[in-house]
Amino acid sequence: MAKRSATVLLLLVTALVSVTAGGLSEAKSNDVVTLQFFHRWPMEPRFSYFNEVVAEFERLNPDIRIEMDMVENESYKEKIRVLISSNDMPDVFTSWSDSFALNLARSGRVRSLNAILERNPEFAQSFIQSQLEPFTFDGITYGLPLTIDGKVLVYNLSMWQEAGIAQEPRTFDELITVLDRLKSAGHETPILEGLANPWAISHFLGTLFQRYIPADVLARDYNEATGEFTHPGYRTAIEYFMQLVGYMGPSATSLTHTEVRNLFIAGRLPMMYMQFAEFGFVHADPSSPAYGFFNFPGICGGHGDFSLLTGAPEGLMMSETSRYPEEAERFVKFLLSQENAAKFVEQVGAPVAVVGAVREENSYPTLMQATEMIKSSSGSVPWLDNAMNIRVADAFMRGVQSVASGDMTIDQVLNSVQAAARMVRAEASQK
Amino acid sequence: MKSSCRGSSLEPLLFTLPCIVMLGVFVYLPLIQNFYFSLYSFSAFSPNKLFIGLENYRLLVDDPVVRTALINNVRYAVISVLIQVCFGLVLAAILEDKSFKRVGPFFRTVFFMPVLMSISVVCLLFGFIYHPIDGLLNQFLEIVGLPFLQRPWLGSARTAIWATIAVSQWHSTGYIMMLFLVSIQKIPEELYEACELDGAHKITRFRVVTLPHVKEIFFVASVITVTGSFMVFSEPYILTRGGGPGTSSITMAVYLYQSGFFRDMMGYASTLAIVIFVISVVLAVFQAMVFRTGKE
Repeated sequence: MAKRSATVLLLLVTALVSVTAGGLSEAKSNDVVTLQFFHRWPMEPRFSYFNEVVAEFERLNPDIRIEMDMVENESYKEKIRVLISSNDMPDVFTSWSDSFALNLARSGRVRSLNAILERNPEFAQSFIQSQLEPFTFDGITYGLPLTIDGKVLVYNLSMWQEAGIAQEPRTFDELITVLDRLKSAGHETPILEGLANPWAISHFLGTLFQRYIPADVLARDYNEATGEFTHPGYRTAIEYFMQLVGYMGPSATSLTHTEVRNLFIAGRLPMMYMQFAEFGFVHADPSSPAYGFFNFPGICGGHGDFSLLTGAPEGLMMSETSRYPEEAERFVKFLLSQENAAKFVEQVGAPVAVVGAVREENSYPTLMQATEMIKSSSGSVPWLDNAMNIRVADAFMRGVQSVASGDMTIDQVLNSVQAAARMVRAEASQK
Repeated sequence: MKSSCRGSSLEPLLFTLPCIVMLGVFVYLPLIQNFYFSLYSFSAFSPNKLFIGLENYRLLVDDPVVRTALINNVRYAVISVLIQVCFGLVLAAILEDKSFKRVGPFFRTVFFMPVLMSISVVCLLFGFIYHPIDGLLNQFLEIVGLPFLQRPWLGSARTAIWATIAVSQWHSTGYIMMLFLVSIQKIPEELYEACELDGAHKITRFRVVTLPHVKEIFFVASVITVTGSFMVFSEPYILTRGGGPGTSSITMAVYLYQSGFFRDMMGYASTLAIVIFVISVVLAVFQAMVFRTGKE
């Protein structure tokens, strides 16, 4: 009996000590706040940039520790959806703009930034104002832009010169002439895209739809409640894309966009469709070829504004459920300060949405030209997978990928797109 | 005496209680919850769920991607049983043969090595092998004078699924082989000696001694392989970027994941999960009935 009592007493004492120790450690951990930061740039040079900036922030703010996690592009899209519906939502995270941001905002778990912007007018004015719009829905801003982007056709200057091409094409037909000349100059694959990545296909489709189909039709179809996708322009636009695929060779559907970019950097490819955000990779390799770029040409008979540039900003969002909103705000302001934005331009080589951060001394000529092109373009075209409901976009992306590999017809793709749109419409009507 | 009897009847229950609780919380409860979710339409972003009854099941019947995924899973299962189980058994029998006694351990290690590698690493490795421009496979075909066989292995709907299945066979055959090796080693040597005295050939010895003695493990390996084939995810997800080109190499598990976390149809994803569960259970029961095993 005495032995049993002693055991019980020992257990009680152990439990008491554990509870007390737990309380003490809780009190100690209260001194340093830990913020979860989740982004989509695990590759160099962005990886090092964020490591450095986070370390600098922790040095200047000893009361805050940043736990940083990152995954690449498509995995990020999936993981952030999982996290946002879980209880483990990061305090600060990156997001694409337009419908992707809207979907996140609809969860009700993304913090409205209106109060922050109103309290800090100088901070609010530090962004290129047009880049805030893709994060603003019904007058509420949910994200702050970090990068701005545009997608252009880049070309290897010396390959063009050798093929005797002196002028950048202004129409799709001229582009085809350029590709033919490159082909007859010995380049079996004059243009290439990593069609294994469905999103890479969506970038072409988004641009071609905008160039060819009337804006009011697109506005109606991209709307979940009214989208039908019955306009014949979709068929024609996909046919234009298939014309380009005809120049890409049989390997395109098994290559990723990154592999294609590496071929371009290695001087093994005359042309590709590239984002300004990728210019840094070309610039970082001293052996990369000299290159030029131009906006995707217009299409004869097309109804869209040919001067629009496909591309959208990416930015930072904050969790509505964060236990440390004030600390999260400090961290976001630090990341988006002009000083750090300029550092981003210098180290990453990509344009940013912070006014005055892209300067001659921290940039390079093509990036300056890119920034000018963004500023001078009459507007931007959002990425297709962010412009419409993801189910419809998926039907386009996967379907056209199958057309490129010869396993589906364009009509079959359009049927599946229209079926997806019907479903989305029906659900939208029930909301 | 009475109380001791009561104590002994409670004891087994108490010992199994933690297991029952864990299974209940982590297996059966989510299963019931999953069926409940399959009757709703909802987004991962939104707390609101819309009751739609069996609409997700009706949608599933008409969904051509489900048909493609099921066909791919069946392809996976048939080839995995043939290669991993049947060929794995032959491999194990050869390595346990007397004439292979000296080199057997070496080859055991060689064949088992892929199992120790993460499937993600294996897929990345095979991504290089299948690369259409610089890949080892196409270069090898060029060197041996078969350039007409070169193709974009993962970029063509005709070859993507087979190239993906091949990776799984390379990765998992060693594991099944090891299961058979353990089983074969337990067969009394005298049976083989008696067979030998009767003048039986190696193939006859394999047929009359080895096969009947590995029946139980053959059943276990078949169940593991077939149910595993209906849950295969990593290989198509990594190698063909989620079952491409188009949906030609998609499997049920990949489609489930994409439906839930990419296309944001959580209710439909739950329906797909139920279908995978039912198929796995039916196949396991069918195999148990066919093999009439489970006694050992």
